[in-house]
Amino acid sequence: MGDLLRPGERDDDRYDRTRLIRWVDLERVQRARALVVGAGALGNEAVKDLVLFGFRHVDVLDMDTVVRSNLSRCVLFREGDQRSGRGKAELVAERAMELDPAAEVRGLHGRVQALGPDGLRAYDIVLGCLDNIAARLHLNANSYYASVPYVDGGTEGFRGRVQVVVPPTSPCLQCGMNRSHLKVMERRFSCTGQEAVYYRPNLPAEITTTSAIAAIQVREAVKVLSRRAPIEHVMHYDGLAGTCEVLSLEVDPGCPNHGAGRLSQS
Amino acid sequence: MVVRVRVRNAETGATVDMELELENTVEEIIEGVSAYWEKDPGAYVIRRGRRLLRGQQKVQELDVQPNEELELIPDPEGGNR
Repeated sequence: MGDLLRPGERDDDRYDRTRLIRWVDLERVQRARALVVGAGALGNEAVKDLVLFGFRHVDVLDMDTVVRSNLSRCVLFREGDQRSGRGKAELVAERAMELDPAAEVRGLHGRVQALGPDGLRAYDIVLGCLDNIAARLHLNANSYYASVPYVDGGTEGFRGRVQVVVPPTSPCLQCGMNRSHLKVMERRFSCTGQEAVYYRPNLPAEITTTSAIAAIQVREAVKVLSRRAPIEHVMHYDGLAGTCEVLSLEVDPGCPNHGAGRLSQS
Repeated sequence: MVVRVRVRNAETGATVDMELELENTVEEIIEGVSAYWEKDPGAYVIRRGRRLLRGQQKVQELDVQPNEELELIPDPEGGNR
């Protein structure tokens, strides 16, 4: 006897429309373990998109609690969260599971610096949704060493960038950095003689650019997991001009993640 | 030997001509035009066509052509707050 069809049954399948995109390996996406580092503006959007796309195993890491100014960009936070004292990661995980109860989303309270290659090897894909260069470099180097693909996102006002790093061949974040990045880091960390002071300025941010950049990060994660070629290598988005360009980058022979004495295991 | 290039400010569309020695680096171009345009402190990169240039690359390695245009673009670092 052949398959039995009934009217409208395809609409009962949550992922019916996604299955129509032939290159998407939805089974692999659903099996994959994804780590989102940062549960702020980009992290909220990224976790929302991951879960709606069909990811079933998502961990989200952040050390902060909600402040009211987060609410203009964070779809999973609610008025009052800023008074709850609960961590951003815990809240994002809880609200994301309301989007799809079949998804297991865990909120991890902690610092990115606590993540080493051993911890990162538990994941199939890592998304960086951070707000400073030092944290990005840490995640970049350790993901590369652990041979885990890393998709980094950054925003400032109506500008954004996404970079996809797939070890062991693609250039990493550090390959594209220069002295201007180091100067930004130096300004953040100033030595007083007694202790290091970390200064985090408020950068301009708004939801439309945040949404676009996080969505592209998730799409790139899906491409990597579906064995489709990701962008090579850095996408720069200018929301005011309405432009989006993918620019190539070379491996820096002096980069410690690639060159002689490299940290990475290729 | 000196090479003259034009650098475009991606944020404003302004351009400035720069005379470069073969020993000059991309980082020096970034610092030169950032100071000229009094840019806000931040991370920047230089693109040449569809390629991003590495900071330590020298003009000599790049084989820059006279009057070629480069572009200074901000490298956004925010997103978590």
